[in-house]
Amino acid sequence: MRSRREVLRDAKQGIIEEPSDFSSRPSASRRSFITVGLAATGGLLVAMRMEPLGAQSPALAGPAGFPIDYIQIDPDDRVLIWSAQPEMGEGTKTSLPMIVAEELDADWSKVRIGDAPLDRKYGGQGVGGSDAIRSDWDNMRRIGATARALLIASAAAEWRVPAGECDTGAHMVRHRASNREARYGTLAARAATLSVPQDVALKDPSRYRLLGTRVKGIDTHKVVTGQPLFGIDVRLPNMKFAAVAKCPVFNGRPIKFDATRARQVPGVRDVVEIKGLDNPTLLMPGVAVVADSTWAAFKGREALVVQWDEGPHASESNASITAQFQKILADPQETLHNSGRIDDALAAAATVVDNTYSFPFVSHATLEPHNCTADFRPDTGEVWVRGPIQMPMSAQTTVARAIGIAVNKVHVHSTRIGGGFGRRLLSDYAAEAAVVARAIGGPVMVIDNREGDLQHDYYRPAAMQRLRVGADAQGKIVAWDHIIASCSRNVYRKDSRGPHSTESYGSYVGRVQSIEQLDADLQPTKIPNARLRYGNPLTGVATGAWRAPAHVVNAFTIETSIDELAATIKRSPVDLRLELLADTADVPKAADDPSPYDPARMRRVLLEVVERGGFGKPAPNGRARGLAMHHTFGSYCAHVVELSVNTGATSEKRVTIHKVVSVADLGQPINLSMLEAQMQGGVIDGIGAAFFGEVPIANGRAQSRNFGDYRLIRMREAPRAIEAHFIDSRLRPTGFGEPPLPPIAPAVANAIAALTGERIRMMPFSKSGFVL
Amino acid sequence: MAVISLTVNNRPVQLDLDPDTPLLWALRDHLNLVGTKFGCGGGFCGACTVHVDGVATRSCSTPIGRAAGKRVTTIEGLSADGDHPAQRAWEDIDVPQCGYCQAGQIMSCAALLERTPNPTDEEITTAMSGNICRCGTYIRIKEAVKLAATLRASR
Repeated sequence: MRSRREVLRDAKQGIIEEPSDFSSRPSASRRSFITVGLAATGGLLVAMRMEPLGAQSPALAGPAGFPIDYIQIDPDDRVLIWSAQPEMGEGTKTSLPMIVAEELDADWSKVRIGDAPLDRKYGGQGVGGSDAIRSDWDNMRRIGATARALLIASAAAEWRVPAGECDTGAHMVRHRASNREARYGTLAARAATLSVPQDVALKDPSRYRLLGTRVKGIDTHKVVTGQPLFGIDVRLPNMKFAAVAKCPVFNGRPIKFDATRARQVPGVRDVVEIKGLDNPTLLMPGVAVVADSTWAAFKGREALVVQWDEGPHASESNASITAQFQKILADPQETLHNSGRIDDALAAAATVVDNTYSFPFVSHATLEPHNCTADFRPDTGEVWVRGPIQMPMSAQTTVARAIGIAVNKVHVHSTRIGGGFGRRLLSDYAAEAAVVARAIGGPVMVIDNREGDLQHDYYRPAAMQRLRVGADAQGKIVAWDHIIASCSRNVYRKDSRGPHSTESYGSYVGRVQSIEQLDADLQPTKIPNARLRYGNPLTGVATGAWRAPAHVVNAFTIETSIDELAATIKRSPVDLRLELLADTADVPKAADDPSPYDPARMRRVLLEVVERGGFGKPAPNGRARGLAMHHTFGSYCAHVVELSVNTGATSEKRVTIHKVVSVADLGQPINLSMLEAQMQGGVIDGIGAAFFGEVPIANGRAQSRNFGDYRLIRMREAPRAIEAHFIDSRLRPTGFGEPPLPPIAPAVANAIAALTGERIRMMPFSKSGFVL
Repeated sequence: MAVISLTVNNRPVQLDLDPDTPLLWALRDHLNLVGTKFGCGGGFCGACTVHVDGVATRSCSTPIGRAAGKRVTTIEGLSADGDHPAQRAWEDIDVPQCGYCQAGQIMSCAALLERTPNPTDEEITTAMSGNICRCGTYIRIKEAVKLAATLRASR
C-alpha cells in the first residue's frame, strides 16, 4: 500500500493507476542539478534539471534531463522568474517566485513572472493539499541563491577581488572595501560563462526583505480589467462548444439516444457519445452536443432524448444512506485504533458526553463551472488541452488513457483556475474535452451549466459520527470512543488503500504509536483509553476531496465535544485542550517529513488566540465567544468567534458574527497579503458551508439545482471583521490553503452554545434553525 | 434569428441571433468579450454583471432582444486604461483570490457609486450581496468599495 506521500508525488507526476487526490506532505526530495546559460537577450539564464519522479514507471517518466528555465536576468536589470505551478487563488504564482527573488536579493519591482509551459519534461507539476510552498521551498531557495552566487562571482572576477568580500544589496553586488557596486544586469553576461557553484549558502532569515511582507498578486491588474485568463476564456480559431448530457442517476450510462431534435437547434453541429472509463473519477459516460456557441450547445442538450441505464443506485436517498450510517454506528466494520480498556473506562467515568453528529454531501461549486478545451490534430495524432487544470500531469495521463494515445502526444496547458476547493484535483473534464475533440477532429470547449456542474460534482462525503468522551471525577479526560461512518472516497475512486484512509485522519485517538498514524495527521493526545472505529456505506454517490477534506467534519465533532464536556464538568475549555496536547517528545518523527507535528506549536497558537480574542473574558452585551483549534497539513490554526443570535417571529435563529480572531503558525510566512486572504476566505467558506452546504440525494440523484437552493454565503452573511495573526516563525514554511477551515465551524457552534445553550450536532446548521 | 443592434462599450454592434439568447453569451461567444463571466445562468451569483444603460444588470438572464437599442458596458469598457476608481481600489487592496467573480463585483461597485457616491456600510452590503465570491473575499471587497468611493471623490 502506498503512503500518502507517495500518492501526492504520483499525482503530481501524473501516475493515476489508482486515481487520487492527495492531502499530505511534500514529495520526497529529488535530485536536481542547476545549469547556467546565456539568454537570447544576452542575459543570464539559470535552469534546473530534475531527476524524473516516477523512475519506477519509465513509461510515464518521460524524457529526463531537460532543463527547467527558472530565472533570466537581462542586461537591462529586468528579472524574469518562471512559475511552473497552476494558480487557483491561493497566490502560488506570486509566492513561489518571491522565494526565488528573496534568495536572489532581487528588487521585486524589477521582477516579472512568466508562465512556465506545462510539460512532462518539467517533472512534477500540480498543486493541492496546501502543498505548493512546502514542496518547492528548497528548490526555489537554492536556485535563487545559486543565481546570486553567480552574480557575486561575476563581480568578483571583474573587480579582481575575492568573492567572499562581496555581498549583495537590492539588485546589485557590492564590494565595500573598494566602495564599488554593480547592478545585476551588468553582471549577467559574464555570470553565464561561470561554472555553477555547489552548496551555496542560503540567506539567514533575519536578512529577509521580501518574505513575510505583503506583496500583491502578480495578475491582479489583469483580473480587475477582465483579461482572458481563465479556462472558460480560451478561444481557438473555429472552435466549437459542447455540453454533455450525463445520467442523472449516479453511475448510470446511456443505452441509446435520439439526436433528431437536438440537431434541429440552430448552431448544433454534431452529437457524440462518450463511453466513459471504468473509473468514474477519470471520465463519466454521456452524450455530447457540439455546437457553434455555448448557448446552442446548452439548448441542443435540452432537446436531446437519451434512454439511460440507471444502474443499481436509482433508489438511493438521504434516508437510505442514513440508515446505513446508523447500522455502522451500531456495529462498525473496522477498528483502527484501540488502546487501554475503553469499555471499562467509559463505565467508570464520572461524566460521559455522548453525541451523534451528521454531515451532508457538499458541492465544490467552483464559480468557474466545469469546462476544458481540447484540440485534436488528425494529421499528427496529437491533442492539445487547455483549461483550468489543477493537476496537469494527471490530466495528461488521463487524457492519454481516455483517447488511447501515447502520453507524449498529449500537450497540457493550465490557465488560471476559477476556484478549485478540491474539485479540480480530478481531471475528468480534460478527458471529456479530449474525447469530443478527437471525435470531431478539431478544437472544442466542453462546458457545463450550473445545474450540470452541481448535479455531476464529486461531493464531500456525507457522514455520521458518534463520539463518547469520558472524564474522571477530577475532570480529566480518560476515555475517547469515536466511530466514523463516512462514504469512502477511496472506495469510490477504486483506490487500493483502506476505505478509512480518506475519512479518519484528524481524529484524536490515543498516543501516537507509529509513523503510520502520524502520517495520517492523527493528533496525539494523552487519553489513556481510546478507540477509533470506521465503517463505509455502499453508495453510488460520487465523492471527492473538498477543501481540507475530512478534517472539516472530524474537527467539528472533536472540537464541539471537547467544548461540551468542558461546559458539563465546569472546566475551562482552554485547560482541557492544553491537557490533551501531547509533548513534542511523544511524537515520532518521519525521516522524510521536514515539518513534523509539534504539539508545542499548537499550544502556542491556542494560547495566543485566547489572548487576542479575549476568550474567557466577558463579551459585549448579548454576545458570546467560541473557540476551536486544529492542525492540518503541517499548519496550526485556531479561531475565537464572537457572535449574537436574534430570535425573530419565525422559528429561525439569526446569527450575526461580529468578529473572528484567528491565529496561525505556518512557519516562515511568505506573503502576508495572500495569507491574510486565505484566512479570511477560509473562515468565510467554512462558515458558509457549515450553515448552508447540502446536496440532498433522492431517487439516486443529486437534488441541488442552482444557487437558489444550493446556497453560498454572501457579503451580508459574512463575519463583519476577521483579524488574522500569524506567528512570526523562522521554521520551514507549510501551506495555508486549507488549515483555516476545520476549526471555524466548531468555533461558531461553540459560541452559539455559549450564548443559547443549544448544541449544534448537524450540518448544515440551518437544519437546526440557525441561519445567517 | 433576428438582427439586433446595440451599443457595446461605445461601439455600435449588430448581431444576428435568436432574441432569446442571453446577453452574456452574445458578449462572450459572438463579440469575444470574455471578461464578463458565466457563473449560474439564473441571476443568483452576479458574475455576469454588466451595465445596461448604466444600470447593473445580470447578463445571463437578459435576453439579447431586451438589450436592443441599449448601451451595454462590460468590464472591458469600464475604463480606457483599467483605471476606473473601482479597478484601482481592487488592485490597491489586492482583492482577488481566484478572481473569477471580480469583474462582476467591480461592475456592481461601479454602478453603486454612480447612484450613491458615498455609500454607508449598509448600502455597500445591500448593493454587493447579489454578487457571490466563492473564495470569500468579502472583507476586502467592502474595503475596496470604500476606497473606490474616496478615489472617485478626489478624481
